[in-house]
Amino acid sequence: MRPLDSVTSKQRVAYGLAFFVLFVALWSWATFGGHVSKTFLANPLTMVQEGYDLLAKQGFLYDIGMTIWRVVGGFALAAIIAVPLGVLMGAYKPVEAFLEPFVSFARYLPASAFIPLLILWAGIGELQKLLVIFIGSVFQIILMIAVTVGATRRDLVEAAYTLGASDRGMIRRVLLPSSAPEIAEILRLVLGWAWTYVIVAELIGSSSGIGHMITDSQALLNTGQIIFGIIVIGLIGLLSDFMFKAFNAWLFPWRLA
Amino acid sequence: MTTLKIEQVSRIFPARHGNAPTRALEPTDLIIGNNDFVTILGPSGCGKSTLLRIVAGLDRPTSGRVTLDGREVTGPGADRGMVFQSYTLFPWLTVRANIAFGLRERGVSEAERNKIADAFIRQVGLSGFENHWPKQLSGGMQQRTAIARALANDPKILLLDEPFGALDNQTRALMQEMLLGIWERDQKTVLFVTHDIEEAIFLGSRVIVMSARPGRIKAEINVDLPHPRSYKIKTTPEFVQLKERLVEEIRTEALKVAEHA
Repeated sequence: MRPLDSVTSKQRVAYGLAFFVLFVALWSWATFGGHVSKTFLANPLTMVQEGYDLLAKQGFLYDIGMTIWRVVGGFALAAIIAVPLGVLMGAYKPVEAFLEPFVSFARYLPASAFIPLLILWAGIGELQKLLVIFIGSVFQIILMIAVTVGATRRDLVEAAYTLGASDRGMIRRVLLPSSAPEIAEILRLVLGWAWTYVIVAELIGSSSGIGHMITDSQALLNTGQIIFGIIVIGLIGLLSDFMFKAFNAWLFPWRLA
Repeated sequence: MTTLKIEQVSRIFPARHGNAPTRALEPTDLIIGNNDFVTILGPSGCGKSTLLRIVAGLDRPTSGRVTLDGREVTGPGADRGMVFQSYTLFPWLTVRANIAFGLRERGVSEAERNKIADAFIRQVGLSGFENHWPKQLSGGMQQRTAIARALANDPKILLLDEPFGALDNQTRALMQEMLLGIWERDQKTVLFVTHDIEEAIFLGSRVIVMSARPGRIKAEINVDLPHPRSYKIKTTPEFVQLKERLVEEIRTEALKVAEHA
């Protein structure tokens, strides 16, 4: 091992899997070995059994579907509003001066702290869940996109001007395409954060979703189900991340060429 | 007919952090006539790039004005094509789409702009690379594409800011011949900035020598070497004589810069 030496893709997969194996081994040692009480931590086998039970008998797939729909819905709502605003802020300095201070402030408002307020405003229905994710995502996306668009290579902008680009052309044909891969990366990142908000939203005042199942299981001291729920969240996150990455690579072939 | 007039153009960069303002360019006059190939030669920091950027409209003069065919330059425009020293191809566009960028911005139909782009691709010797991304090209190929991109717009004047500065010597010599070949064949008004003496003589019909700190025109030398010029001209006595003269001019300027640095 030397600093910054590369690994082959086979080694990469092997190392990555090895950690998971190590993790499960430690978990098994702690639970099967009796080092941790069953009440606090279920062993891996129980977890798998509880998981099967959840999926087969308790309609957990519906909960998963609900959670995914909330994340995607709230996130899409945020993106539809935040992407154009962020691009405008990045492209036009007066717009940035107008909005940036407020957005920077709003970005630090914790989405979960809004839950009580949102329940008052929107009840405990779907709208409230979507709004939590919306608030958690929208300001982050606006600000990060504004920074990215604002950092467009100046020499490319100048080259476009000397080629006769109009203001409109500059935004559509230089600022947007040059920032597009970064924008896609930002969306991928924020989607990951949206997943943490949805669970918090579902922990309070909800009758469906992965978060709701986890609170229910806590009442029953069913740590197997809780762990299974957490793992499902992780797996879905990993999967969506992977899909986003593949989609971005397909969308922007000029980056990899 | 194209005439570029630079009248009493100066540029002073405002003071920063208590330093004195930088006088990048003293009031300068220069007239460039139709199909002239003028090279501006000077050491770094002599304001030659500043002058070119003012002509391009990317920078504003502190005083004076630039007119192209009687119309004052107030900002960048398609009538003044520019090639930069840095690689400025749009990385998300193929070679062909890069060259067609200005045409598309003007609303030329796709069939028409592909036809024009392909003609320029042939002219700069990039046939077969139409659909490559800029990342896949060598530095020399990228600059050839950049020249084709500027020419495809059919500008009144072509501005080049040390376009071959980042290339190795062999590539640079080939690029000079290619550019001169295009000029000899198609006739264009060209303003070319460089710090390379040989390049300035080989390409230019006129060499403008600039001095450093403050930047101003120090000498103007006509290059009466016959066209078409091939690389072999670089070893003729006339060429060598011109070069010797310019080496002296530039050396005193470079020394001045070194002393102040």
